[in-house]
Amino acid sequence: MMFKPSSPLFSGLLWKIPWRISAPQKARQRKRLRAVDRVVDTVSAALQRNGFQAKAVERWYQEMPREEEMLPKDKYTIFDKKEKKYRKGIHKVPKWTRVSQRVNPPGF
Amino acid sequence: MSSYFRVTLVRSAIGLPRRSSDVLKALGLKKRMATVFHPVSPSVAGQIMKVKELVQVQEVDRSLTKQEVHLERKPDPGYYIERTSVAEFKENTSA
Repeated sequence: MMFKPSSPLFSGLLWKIPWRISAPQKARQRKRLRAVDRVVDTVSAALQRNGFQAKAVERWYQEMPREEEMLPKDKYTIFDKKEKKYRKGIHKVPKWTRVSQRVNPPGF
Repeated sequence: MSSYFRVTLVRSAIGLPRRSSDVLKALGLKKRMATVFHPVSPSVAGQIMKVKELVQVQEVDRSLTKQEVHLERKPDPGYYIERTSVAEFKENTSA
């Protein structure tokens, strides 16, 4: 018999996100974080050179840590009140490769 | 001296909130790898900040036309046309 019943084959649409994020995924995540830092730096430098200010840029620098300042914990996991230790992998966040999610509640 | 933002869309906004795709439309970015130029100003900076995860930004001195951007990517033809030394000399001295 060719058919081997496994949960994805047996029950229609079933996608599984692995519990763990892999090493290359982590590397790409760091790369993306740095790319966003670079965009903000370029915008800020250009504004300064022309004597402008922008609230969005200032707010970013006040609130968001840079990639190299972040703890691995914050790079690869995110606070979730429903999880056992209040943390889940960042790859479980919808559209996680295109959103900036860098800070978590203090103490968690 | 005014400079320009050279903004290239590297990641699509498919599946993202309506606002991000609207900002891209406002910036004039219709498809991935499209490049636009905007003068440096706080309002453009704010727009770029809204889509900072999707774009690449450079600060440049002048804005290029669509054709100039296209020609940047044109490969080397692999040949050159020989001319007489007189013609070459004339061109070099006149320029």
